Formats: sequence, C-alpha cells, structure tokens
Amino acid sequence: MERFFRSDFFYHFCHAPVAIVSFITIILIILSAIFANLIAPTNPFDPSSLNLMNGFTPPLETNEFTGESFLLGTDDQGRDLFSTILYGLRISLFVGLMAVFLAMVMGVLLGLIAGFLGGWIDSIIMRFADIQMTFPSILVAMLIYGVARGILPPEVRYEMSIVVLIISIGLSEWVPFARTVRGSTLVEKEKEYVTAAKMIGLNRQQIMVRHILPNVLSPVLVIATITFALAIIAEATLSFLGVGVPTTKPSLGTLIRIGQDFLFSGEWWILLFPAITLLALALSINLFGDWLRDTLNPKLK
Amino acid sequence: MSFINVDQLTRLFDLSEPWIVRAITGQKKRILTAVDCVNFQIEKGETYALVGESGSGKSTIAKMVAGILVPTSGSVIIDSKDFNDAKLDKTSMNALRRKTQMVFQSPYASLNPRWKIGSIINEPIKAFGLIENENSQHIRVIELLEQVGLSERDIGKYPHEFSGGQRQRISIARALASEPEIIICDEPTSSLDVSVQAQVLNLLKDLQKNFSLTYLFISHDLAVISTMANNIGVLKEGVLVEEATPKDLFCKPQHDYTKMLLAAVPNLQNN
Amino acid sequence: MDEPLLEIKDLSVSLKKRNTISVAVDCLSLNLYPSEILGLVGESGAGKSMTGSAILGLIESPLYISAGTITLHGQSIVEAPEHIRGSKISMIFQDPLVSLNPLKTIGEQLVKTIKTHFNISKAEALERGKRLLSDVGIDPERIDAYPHTFSGGMRQRVVIALALAPDPDLIIADEPTTALDVSVQAQILNLLKRLCIERGTSIILITHDMGVISETTDRVAVLYSGRLVEIGETSDVLQHPKHPYTAGLVASTPNIDPHSFHKKLFQIPGTMPDINDVPNGCAFHPRCEHASNICQTQKPPLFNARASCWLLETPGETL
Ligand SMILES: Nc1ncnc2c1ncn2[C@@H]1O[C@H](COP(=O)(O)OP(=O)(O)OP(=O)(O)O)[C@@H](O)[C@H]1O
Ligand SMILES: Nc1ncnc2c1ncn2[C@@H]1O[C@H](COP(=O)(O)OP(=O)(O)OP(=O)(O)O)[C@@H](O)[C@H]1O
Ligand SMILES: [Mg+2]
Ligand SMILES: [Mg+2]
Repeated sequence: MERFFRSDFFYHFCHAPVAIVSFITIILIILSAIFANLIAPTNPFDPSSLNLMNGFTPPLETNEFTGESFLLGTDDQGRDLFSTILYGLRISLFVGLMAVFLAMVMGVLLGLIAGFLGGWIDSIIMRFADIQMTFPSILVAMLIYGVARGILPPEVRYEMSIVVLIISIGLSEWVPFARTVRGSTLVEKEKEYVTAAKMIGLNRQQIMVRHILPNVLSPVLVIATITFALAIIAEATLSFLGVGVPTTKPSLGTLIRIGQDFLFSGEWWILLFPAITLLALALSINLFGDWLRDTLNPKLK
Repeated sequence: MSFINVDQLTRLFDLSEPWIVRAITGQKKRILTAVDCVNFQIEKGETYALVGESGSGKSTIAKMVAGILVPTSGSVIIDSKDFNDAKLDKTSMNALRRKTQMVFQSPYASLNPRWKIGSIINEPIKAFGLIENENSQHIRVIELLEQVGLSERDIGKYPHEFSGGQRQRISIARALASEPEIIICDEPTSSLDVSVQAQVLNLLKDLQKNFSLTYLFISHDLAVISTMANNIGVLKEGVLVEEATPKDLFCKPQHDYTKMLLAAVPNLQNN
Repeated sequence: MDEPLLEIKDLSVSLKKRNTISVAVDCLSLNLYPSEILGLVGESGAGKSMTGSAILGLIESPLYISAGTITLHGQSIVEAPEHIRGSKISMIFQDPLVSLNPLKTIGEQLVKTIKTHFNISKAEALERGKRLLSDVGIDPERIDAYPHTFSGGMRQRVVIALALAPDPDLIIADEPTTALDVSVQAQILNLLKRLCIERGTSIILITHDMGVISETTDRVAVLYSGRLVEIGETSDVLQHPKHPYTAGLVASTPNIDPHSFHKKLFQIPGTMPDINDVPNGCAFHPRCEHASNICQTQKPPLFNARASCWLLETPGETL
C-alpha cells in the first residue's frame, strides 16, 4: 500500500485535476448509491410510504395538500425524487457493474483462447466478433433482450428482468475486451518466458492462466472503466425505451422516461435531475477512463 | 553412440498464403528449408557451438534439440531417447524434459515480468516434483541464486529490478533448477555489454565444470565461440558447411563461408 | 592539428524527475577534427546516445542541457535553429527501419531530403540521389524500390545515403551495426571509413563493441556513468590503457587467439551504477582494484589530456 502512494501512478494522479475531480464524483455517486437507505428520506420502492397527494410537488416547495416539502420535488406518484434517484442509481450501477463484469470475463477468456490457440478457433471467435461489431451494441442488447424475454416463461419474466438486462448488455460489450486481450496474447505468447514454461512441460491451460493472463490484464482495466460508462448509458437507453427494468423499481433511465412524459406540461424537474445525475456519472467515468488510458499507456498519447 | 546425436535433422516452414488466397491469386506454395539434413554429435560434458549469420537456422535447431519444435524429418537422440518418439511414456518424457533446459537471448522477454524471482526459479522444481516440502524448496532456491552469484535478498524482487546481466543469471538459475544435464544457450550474451558478457560466460564455464553440464552454445560471435567451444559447427542457410575444433577452424578454415566470417570479425589485435 | 570541427566543453545533461535531479552526462569535453572518426564507447547507460542527442539538439524534457557549450565551426549550436544543424549534422540510428518510411520508395525519400537542403530541380535531385546510392554501394537502378525489398545491410546503406544527402560535415552514427551480422557489419564499417576519407566528413561512431572501435576509429573516448574516463589515439588507448576501466573493457573482450581457447575471460566485478546513485569521487572506484582513499572522495580530473584516474597524478606511475 505504501508502495502505491509512492508510485508514479499516484504522483500523476495528484497532478491531474480532471482525474481527481472525476474520481471524487464517481466515489461520491457510488457511496450515495450504496448508502441510499441511510441518506434517502423515504423508501420509494415501498408503496405504503407513498402518498399520491404529494404528486408533482416542485423542488423545495411545500405541497399544498400535505404540507410536506421535497429537496428535488416529487414525481407523478408522489415519490420523493431525491430518494428515487438514489435508489435508481443503485440499480443503474448494479446493472452496469454486473454487465461489465460479464463482458470482461467473457471477452478476456475468448480473447485469450483465440490469441493463444490461433487457427480455426481464433478465426471463428474473431469473425463472430467482427460481425457483432457491425451492429450498434444497443441494437445487439435489444435483440438479446427480446430473445431472452421470448424464451423465459411469463411467470419469471418479471423477476428475471434485471438479470436479462445484465446479460444482454454484457453480451453486447465483450468484443473490445476480446480484441485487446487477443492482441496482447499474440505478443506475449512469442516471448521466451512462455518457451521456458513449455520446456518444463506445462500444458496449455497452465501457460495461459499462470503466465499469459497476468501479462495481458493491464489494458483490460482501462477498457472496463470505459465500458462501465457505456453499460450505464445502455441500461438507461433500454429502460428509456421501456424494455429495461420495471417502473416499480425505476433506474435512472426509467426515471428519465417518466420525466419526459411531463416535460411539456411544466414538471421539468422530473426529467432534469435524473438526467443530470446520469450525465455526471457517465461523464466522470469517461474522463477518468481516458486519463487512466493515457497514464497507463504513454504510447497512446 | 554419443550423448546427443543429431541425425539428418531437417525442418521446413510453410510460408505460403492461406489456400483461399492462393486459389484466387494463383500463387504457388512457398516452402522454406530452415534446417537441411544437419548431423552432429555432442559428448557428455562438452560444448558444441553453432555459428552462422542471422536466419541460418541456429535457433530452429536449438528448439528441435530442446524438444519444443517437431522436426520435419530426422531425429535428435539424447541419451538414447527421442522427444518425438510416440512410444515414449509420460515419466520418461518428463525425465527427458528435466534433463534439457534452455537459456535465451533476451534478458527482458525470458522472465515473466509479473512473477517474483523466487517463484520463477521455483517453478521447475514444482513442475517436476523434485522437492515437495515448501521449506526445502525455499532453501534450494536460495542455493541456486547463490550458485549464479545472486543472494537470498533477491527472492522477493521482480525482474524489472535487475540489470540485463543479472537477469541472464536468473535465467541460468531457472535452467539449473531442474538439475539438467544439457543446457541449450541461444545467444545468451548477445544483448549484454562486454564486461557483463565476460561475467556470464565465466559463470557458464564454472557451472559446466561443477555439474559436468553439456552445452549446445549458439552465437554469431566467433570470438565468443572461440572461448567456449570444444567443437564448432558453421551453419549457412540451414546447411552445416563445416565442423571442426576451434584450433582447426580458426587456424585452417576450409570452407569459403567460414573464411569470410572469420575475416569479418572485428578484432582488437588487428589495429 | 587544425581547428576542431566540433568542440564540446563541459557539457552536462541532467534529468529532472519529481524533486530529484540526476546527471546523465557529467561535464564532458571533447574535440572532433575534420575527416576524423571518433569512437564513443562504454557500457549500456553510460550516456553515449545522450551525448549524440545533445549534439543534434534532440534532448527533450525531462532531460535538459544543464551546463556547457557545443560549437560547430566555432559557432554555438546549443540554441541554433534546427535547419542549421540539419544541414551540417546527420544521424544514423541502430534500426534502419525506424529512419525509413515503408510507404515511399527510397528515391522519393532521397529527393525529398535533397530538395529540403538544396534549391535544385527534381531531375537534378534525382541525379544526385542516384550518385549517393552508388556511393554507398547500391545499384542506382534500384532507386524506385521500396525499403522492404532490401536486406538489413542494404537498408542501413540507404540510411547512410539519406544521411549524406545534405552533404553534412558531421555524421553521428549511433550503433549503426548492432542489428546486423558480422559480415554486413564489416561492409558498413568499411563504407563509413571510405566516406570519411573521400568526402572529408567527420564521424562520431557510438558503439559498445571494442572490436568495432579498434578497426574503425582514429580516436576513441571511453565513457563511464556519463563521465569521460579516457580519450586518445585508438591504438594507444587499446594497447596501453591508462584508466583501469578501459583496461578492464579491453581485457574482457573475447578475442580469437589460439592461446586463449577455453581460458576464462577477465571480468570486471560488479555493474555500472544507476544514474540516480553515482558514488562519490571517481564513479568507478567500487569496481576498481587500484582504488585508494582519494578515489572515494574526489572526482579525478583529466590528467595529461588522456585519462581521469588518480593513478596518473604521480607521474611515471602506470597500470
Ligand atoms: N515459426 C516460423 N515460421 C516460419 N518461418 C520461420 C519460423 N521460425 C523460423 N523461421 C525461418 O527460418 C529461418 C531460420 O530461422 P532461425 O530463427 O533458426 O535463425 P537464426 O539462425 O536463429 O537467426 P538469428 O541469428 O537471427 O536468431 C529464418 O529464415 C526464419 O525466417
Ligand atoms: N528519457 C529518459 N528519461 C530518463 N532517463 C533517461 C532517458 N533517456 C536516457 N536516460 C538515462 O540516461 C542514461 C544514459 O543513457 P544513454 O541512452 O545515453 O545510454 P547509452 O550509453 O546510449 O546506452 P546504450 O548502449 O544502452 O544505448 C541512462 O542511465 C538512461 O537510463
Ligand atoms: Mg536465433
Ligand atoms: Mg544508446
């Protein structure tokens, strides 16, 4: 740990205001999502705490029927917007994180196998990746989402909707991981330490996992950061299009869709605050990811 | 029969385009003969050196002797066993692998940058199951480090904390870890400075004496070879054009190619 | 001797990293005379390339020239604009592929270089390019070929032709033959020697190969830890080294000599220090068998314009 604080990485971090600001924003947003139940004044997912009379209260104004007031106002069903955003963030971040994790595991594994084994296995995996890349990933996600919904029996559809969402976003984002890992694997497998490992009779799995994998992981972190932002936006887009999470447990995207319905009737806050949150989150993750890429990979500058 | 017998060793490489491309463009297959019917023997405890220009097939031979590249035809027989013998069972295969180890040219690429020195040297010990007990493994790693002139302090360090010469020493320690009888040195000092080169070459000589090791030593530097070899083979485009002891080769070179190589060596005394 | 072509006086190149400053080239002084080949030799990290970069003005942050002057024809070139340097000094790098554009024929590259330095027509430039190619021993008919169709040694010749295009007074060759085979190396070194005699170009040859130094150069400068430890006529330095480091380098170079087959080589113990912790006094003292007290505390000056070693302080004492 002490080594980390003395490292060049930490030094560069301390001298990059953009990195510091975006990192703090990300941490703040993540912490407030984790501790949403402690910070939020109400639990928006608990129908019993809702009071329809509170609907459409503007920010910081007192509701004329109930006499309550809300920091960021309420939505059509009288849910406190501040609390809803915090809980919505939880869902957005959870979906994003799990989707990135899925994409990463899949991409790294396939890239490693393609690069190390080569031949027809490599051709199949990479041609498949090429084909998938010709479609926008949101389209791929929607396709997978639709297929999954069609396969699942109606009883479980509702509970499974978040899992389906994670899988469809995850499957639509694995290609950049696979391409990068394959590229580094092609370089690493020609190095002499791999030959040395062959000389002591290690088999292919052992060489891939023990020797090559640790050496191809560093760019993966950078891609994961950038994909995380993409995944959160993809989740928001899907939910905005109404194919994502159910409205009873709204994510940021769902909130934006709800808010959009009321934009022209003057209830601007229902759209604005979730949108700002999403923007701040995606932007800071992207900025941090860019900085990370430049720092870890000086050649790309 | 000698300790190592290389018999009619040949290796081809297919350099042609994929068949689809060939079918469309009407190209023929392009086959490169990297090693062409090479024969030589190495006696136990001796050093056989291969010299030749870049691309003459030195590394290809080294890989075939090390059992990590399959010959197109011909054979390498080490102590009457052959890596490519289909009848070889798993135990004798492992024993043969343990016997032959390799030291590489690049001090940077030959050590896994994510592994600590201790684990790098310990890996062959574990892989061949030479020592089971972890404490004894640790003691053996320290012993190996000391044999190559490093110390116990270096166990927890990573490769990037060492200089090129020190890394070659670590490579040598790793090769020694499996208690081999043969070490194949593929240009072990080509990327080192003269002063460090002298240290590494002397170390290799000491180890040969102490453990009666057999070396297949590859270099393109005739001066280095003259200080190391008992026998020298000169390779040109995959063919062994001349084979002699250092004395004969340097005093009475037979083949024109050898004479050309000798004339090209920059020599301190010529000035 | 005539006026020196290039004069380096007390040149220091430093490296600034966070709050520490380390010195990569330390107070180096050298002269280079017209049509002379000067060798710059030393272990990896001794500061050879850095000295070359300083002459070419290629030192970039975090490195900077912290002291000293470099003059060419008596004019300071530390702050000279690039085109003045470019037409008088050329550079040859270790890897010929780095200096050649793979997408252009060598003719196009030659013509472009010639036209940036001389105000002549394209046809004349092409003519000149062909002459340069035949000068370096390449068939001028191949002027329309692409770099990848040449072998390593021929590419290095093309690079030399490109370096000759501005008709420079000085060529800095940084390990021009390290990537090549001995036989090709011999051809390239002969070419450099010939150019030096025929065109009167001076050459600084950077290498770590004592054999190359011995066969090619007129004078040699030995660097250790960024400092000049010995300089002099090549044959004199190699046969009667005055500095223990030079002596060690010469002795540890393997040689084809029937009396030394199978003998152990001489070895200098230890390794060159990192530029961040150069020892006090003479940088070589921890590895030197002749080291005395003064070596540990005081930097030796260059005695007799030859070697920086305290052994030379008392006249008559030699290695
Ligand atoms: N895997 C491969 N596929 C195709 N061609 C190969 C392969 N390995 C080697 N070759 C070719 O075989 C020839 C001999 O190569 P090798 O590596 O044995 O040369 P070398 O003598 O070791 O040269 P160097 O001194 O440059 O290491 C070369 O022409 C090379 O291009
Ligand atoms: N950009 C840089 N940043 C930090 N240190 C550097 C940089 N470039 C060179 N150095 C250091 O400066 C010293 C001198 O380097 P230089 O490249 O001149 O060595 P050299 O004698 O040419 O070695 P080689 O034979 O390996 O080319 C070395 O210790 C090197 O680590
Ligand atoms: Mg080779
Ligand atoms: Mg250099």
